[in-house]
Amino acid sequence: MFLQYYTKGFSGYNLQYSPYYDDKIALVTGSNFGLVGNGKLFILSIEPNGQILETNSFLTKDCPFDVAWNESNSNQVLVAQGDGTLRLFDTNLKQYPIAIFKGHQREVLSCDWSLVNKDRFVSSSWDGTVKLWSPARTENSLFTLSQEDKSKNMVNSDKNCIYQAKFSPHDDNIVIASSGSSIVSLYDLRINTVNNNNIICQFISNSGLETLCCDFNKYRPHIIATGGVDNRIKIWDLRMLRSDQTKFKGLNNNVTSCVNEIINGHALAVRQIKWSPHSSHHFMTTSYDMTACIWNDLSFNGKTYTGRNNMTHDTLNHGCVKRMTRHTEFVFGADWSLWGDPGIVATTAWDGYTYIWNALR
Amino acid sequence: MTQRLNNIKEHLQNSLFEEPSIKQVKSKHPHDVVIVSAHRTAIAGGFKGSLKDVNTDYILLQFLLQFIQHLPETLQNDLKQIQDITCGNVLNVGAGATEHRAAALAAGFPYDIPFNSINRQCSSGLTAVNDIANKILTGQIDCGLALGCESMSKNYKNINALGDISDSLKANPMARKCLIPMGFTNENIAKQWGIDREIQDKFAAESYQKAQVALDNSLFKNEILPIPLPSEDDENETEKNTKWFSKDEGPRPNVTKDSLSILKPAFIKDKGTTTAGNSSQVSDGAAGVLLMRRSLANKLGIPILGKYIAFQCVGVPPEVMGVGPAFAIPKVLEQVKLSINDIDVFEINEAFAAQCVFCINKLKIPMEKVNPRGGSIALGHPLGCTGARQVATILNEMATGQIGVVSMCIGTGMGAAAIFVKE
Repeated sequence: MFLQYYTKGFSGYNLQYSPYYDDKIALVTGSNFGLVGNGKLFILSIEPNGQILETNSFLTKDCPFDVAWNESNSNQVLVAQGDGTLRLFDTNLKQYPIAIFKGHQREVLSCDWSLVNKDRFVSSSWDGTVKLWSPARTENSLFTLSQEDKSKNMVNSDKNCIYQAKFSPHDDNIVIASSGSSIVSLYDLRINTVNNNNIICQFISNSGLETLCCDFNKYRPHIIATGGVDNRIKIWDLRMLRSDQTKFKGLNNNVTSCVNEIINGHALAVRQIKWSPHSSHHFMTTSYDMTACIWNDLSFNGKTYTGRNNMTHDTLNHGCVKRMTRHTEFVFGADWSLWGDPGIVATTAWDGYTYIWNALR
Repeated sequence: MTQRLNNIKEHLQNSLFEEPSIKQVKSKHPHDVVIVSAHRTAIAGGFKGSLKDVNTDYILLQFLLQFIQHLPETLQNDLKQIQDITCGNVLNVGAGATEHRAAALAAGFPYDIPFNSINRQCSSGLTAVNDIANKILTGQIDCGLALGCESMSKNYKNINALGDISDSLKANPMARKCLIPMGFTNENIAKQWGIDREIQDKFAAESYQKAQVALDNSLFKNEILPIPLPSEDDENETEKNTKWFSKDEGPRPNVTKDSLSILKPAFIKDKGTTTAGNSSQVSDGAAGVLLMRRSLANKLGIPILGKYIAFQCVGVPPEVMGVGPAFAIPKVLEQVKLSINDIDVFEINEAFAAQCVFCINKLKIPMEKVNPRGGSIALGHPLGCTGARQVATILNEMATGQIGVVSMCIGTGMGAAAIFVKE
């Protein structure tokens, strides 16, 4: 099954299924590959006959890089935009946003609405910050989560860029963020921010190279997955981060153990990672190698931790359930449908195509 | 715009990036093969030592009983986590396949854990480690035990197979070279590369001195598991008067270059340079290395000693078989793109002083990095056990983060080398 929608002149950056209606998708795209010029937010509707139609769209001044439906209002969509703002749109209105959230100094690269405390969302930006917002307050953010502790000097990188910040779907106080310095940070919002330090744990995820994406497992609260520029996909157990930071022969030998890893799961950088909403051990990745991939995390079988891993126990496919190769450009965005038969996914790419397909068949 | 473009460009360029090999070697992945336990018995002197009256079945059984007792409790209570056992042995008939399987059963390993014997001469112990590591790497098993065991006292008589060689083999010049006694291959090296008696004796004396220092400072405490000796008087066998064998019998105090220089050549009368003093000692002993996948070790909460990186074996001319390490070490280093300078400790088996000196000089290894606790000249060289013994030694002498190489020459013309990282 392949449904498709083509956004002529606009390259797909990300998309999200509506949490309210089984036939609605919000899609953000940019002209000129999102490098310069305006962008467009599409509200798409999937017709019973398999056609995908545009029900509404909003032209934006700069490229929107990420999108999130308002978890407490079925008609509202939030976008994270290249001009440093977040904008909330009403899908029943035309042209203009109903709220603009200012505060970031540079491109806002991701936004995520909390599934637990539904009047909160987070954003991450190229300015090196993660901000927490309330939709009721547009003037400024509720607070800015502390930046990485540079004094630790974990990597020799000046990349501030925070590519993705995500709420835990299990706990509205927990946020993870992945950054250009390869560091994944775990924040607890309950910690007093006077000292500007609500990081409860930090580790290097992708061999010192940029970590472009991260996601919480929907069933196992302590499990996260990350992907990045080292072409690796890693699965971490937050209870079991054994990290020893020994300097050796001038090299920063920072090694934290993950519970599972897929080396060269993609031929180029991994851009997006999303755990399945229906399975505790399936997830999807998209990559600059123009493919999207569905993976089975062999370290968990749905009931218990197995001690197996994708490199050894599936030497042929490394746990790849399906590789989608229809896109002809970088695949940037992906989401699982919450609806219908488990396994329906949507992907969007720089080629301007958005595809809806069955991940498990 | 340029910044965004550059950002995307970097995502792509970095994909061609390769991690520095040192970092790669030390990185921790769930699919790594790691060592969680590595021990040995003390090494007994041949023919006159503490183990002279027992054969390998007894030594291995007693060693395994102690080995199991020193495992983490989670494993002790669930030995079936160990899914295969490989035991290196050289001199027993059939490499001890029958009696060593029996010893494993007697030690308490359930019958459903399979067993195999392996014989690649002096590298048997290390080859056993590699055998288990490969099975873990391919996903065949998750955890396995590599052993090495030898009683030269009891089985040295089996070493000379010359009697049973067919005439056609004797006629073949290359095949014939495989039958040259090891001592003569060493004389060939000494002669060909001009390693004189003095250099050999000096190297041998240093081995004794280093071993003595290690012994005096109880540096082998963690790796040696004491085993009980059979009591001479069966009726009075009680816990109390059981004698425990816990100290290496090879090292002797006050060995110097000069004291070795008075020994007579053992192989070539008068003109030879290889003596009993600058050759490895005939001995008895056993060693064991427990390997598993890191993900399993983490699951069971077992502390990790070190990581297995790679193994290579090469062939060399049989008449100078002792040069093996000089070719095996570069090959294994090349495989993981490391250089001699990246290695912190070398455990190179001292079959004979001349061949060991040759390898060290050929590879330009700093002498202080080689066998810091003495080698087989001082400690003894129970053939099939040695490789596993060296792994136990190197994992105990390295500091966290250090990289070590275990290597040895192999009779009939081969060399083996393996790389480990201490964690």
